[in-house]
Amino acid sequence: MSETTNREVLLSLRNVEISFDNGGKHKFKAVQDANFDIYRGETFALVGESGSGKTTIGRAIMRINELSAGEITFEGKRISGKLSKQEDIDVIRNIQMIFQDPAASLNERATIEYIISEGLYNFHLYKNEEDRIAKVDRALEEVGLLPEHKSRYPHEFSGGQRQRVGIARALIMEPKLVVADEPISALDVSIRAQVLNLMNKLKNEKALTYLFIAHDLSVVRFIADRIAVIHLGRIVEIAETEELFAYPIHPYTVSLLSAVPMPDPIIEKQREPIVYADALEEKTGPDYAMREIRPEHYVYCTPEQAEKYRKNLD
Amino acid sequence: MAREEDNLFEFADFDEKESEHIAAPRYSYWKSVWHTFFHSKVTIFLSVFVIALVVFALIQPLTSGYSPTDAPNINNAEMKYLPPSAEHIFGTDNIGNEVWNVVWAGARNSIIVSFVSTAIIMTIGILVGALWGFSKKMDRWMIEVYNVVSNVPYLLLAMILSYVLGAGLGSLIFVMCCIDWIYVAYFIRTQVMIIRDREYNLASKCLGTKTFTMIMKNILPYLVSVIVTYIAREIPALISYEVFLSYMGLGLGTNYASLGRTISQYRSYMTGYPHLFWIPVLVLAAIAISLYVVGQKLADATDPRTHR
Repeated sequence: MSETTNREVLLSLRNVEISFDNGGKHKFKAVQDANFDIYRGETFALVGESGSGKTTIGRAIMRINELSAGEITFEGKRISGKLSKQEDIDVIRNIQMIFQDPAASLNERATIEYIISEGLYNFHLYKNEEDRIAKVDRALEEVGLLPEHKSRYPHEFSGGQRQRVGIARALIMEPKLVVADEPISALDVSIRAQVLNLMNKLKNEKALTYLFIAHDLSVVRFIADRIAVIHLGRIVEIAETEELFAYPIHPYTVSLLSAVPMPDPIIEKQREPIVYADALEEKTGPDYAMREIRPEHYVYCTPEQAEKYRKNLD
Repeated sequence: MAREEDNLFEFADFDEKESEHIAAPRYSYWKSVWHTFFHSKVTIFLSVFVIALVVFALIQPLTSGYSPTDAPNINNAEMKYLPPSAEHIFGTDNIGNEVWNVVWAGARNSIIVSFVSTAIIMTIGILVGALWGFSKKMDRWMIEVYNVVSNVPYLLLAMILSYVLGAGLGSLIFVMCCIDWIYVAYFIRTQVMIIRDREYNLASKCLGTKTFTMIMKNILPYLVSVIVTYIAREIPALISYEVFLSYMGLGLGTNYASLGRTISQYRSYMTGYPHLFWIPVLVLAAIAISLYVVGQKLADATDPRTHR
């Protein structure tokens, strides 16, 4: 992460707004004015509480949710809005998703072989049947499953195994970017590390870039290179992982970090969670913008607040 | 410093590959359906009964030589109104025909009409319903079509169509299909909407799977059980409906044998020669009820929650 000068932007969000309307009357803005870049080869984490819009952003990148304003570019090319057929295929092959709930994200009536082959079938990414089988076998092996699992159905697997099937299904497309939407939050604690380590291993082997969506800060600290904190549909702070943990600036981030449980009963007893005073109120206005407070550390604030934050840090 | 307990334990070998192995026997959906269905002796008995009944009804009229336009014994007074006996199993009717032949010929047409109509209704209904449930654009205008079609008085339409098209097997099947498909489509549409946005369907979408493949691989396999339940209800309902339309004089014409018209004709002998009325009614009931029960058993067996 140190070679900050020579970084290539892989995915970029500019002024992204996503809103849901109930028949035109009630417009709910789930995400407002989101701006961030994801660099090739990094793990970019998006953290925030439930309902903050982090999954919505992930789904907008997967083009499940449409943008109401702004644009998303991938390798410099726009991928939001209407795309040509070839562009559509390219985006699907380059960006894949790992889903949150392994119990819900696999088709219960299909064999593992079909589930993993699905992407191959859609774009005919194999030379012949043997080639397809070989690819499926390799994908299973990479995630630590056995070729004999091909003829099994998802309900026969444990949560961790199912999530690994989900990972194999995404990676068989040989994507460049993987959107991981809380990939371990539905898993048993005992196998979370296994799946995280697997994701890290695959990232190194295949030179992947992850957008890691999570609410568990200790997990994020372990896996992420850079973190964006999102609150009520707005990105409030972006910084490198260690920077963010060392110098949390935005009051919401401070309160979020203070809520991380420590596996030490003495510290845990003394831990004083800081309540975010404006939890329900949206702090915004024309003066607000993402401002660089420390190198590569951006906070959503007014110029006066920025001054104050800088002063506090000194 | 080594304690004594330390020697009691040693590291065991751990094979990661072995831990991934699934020991349970292989699962197959249709094998489990088969197994669950034939688990109960009552179901086996009923299925054999239904198949025998249907096959018999389909074959018997071909060998009996009975024709609804023909009455060879009409001038033979000794052959009229005979009660059921060893020689005349169901007795004979007012024009000297064997009730046995009359009933099976009628049952044959009822069964053919109902099976063919159900096949057409379900095929159109499932295809339209699946697309309807998937496409929000289609939903906007299909729901209006549904509102209009489902409010057309069924009997009125049946009357008009039978006058326009004439009273044949084909036109009766058309009459039965031309409204019912939209109920099936609406039912399937609702089912599709329930499972359309589940995460595994989003996953397929992210993999670029086309709508038609999603319908065939992701949606319909989940709906097997509800579709079988629907068919199990539809077949006996349409048999009864054919009987009803023919009874009202709207179904098959006089040159077709029909259970409905037979019952309608024999109605006047309910007190004098009760066997004439009750035998066709009971045959109708036997066919419809046993088909219904077996259908329900099959529907239960196709529900994976009943699999062990």
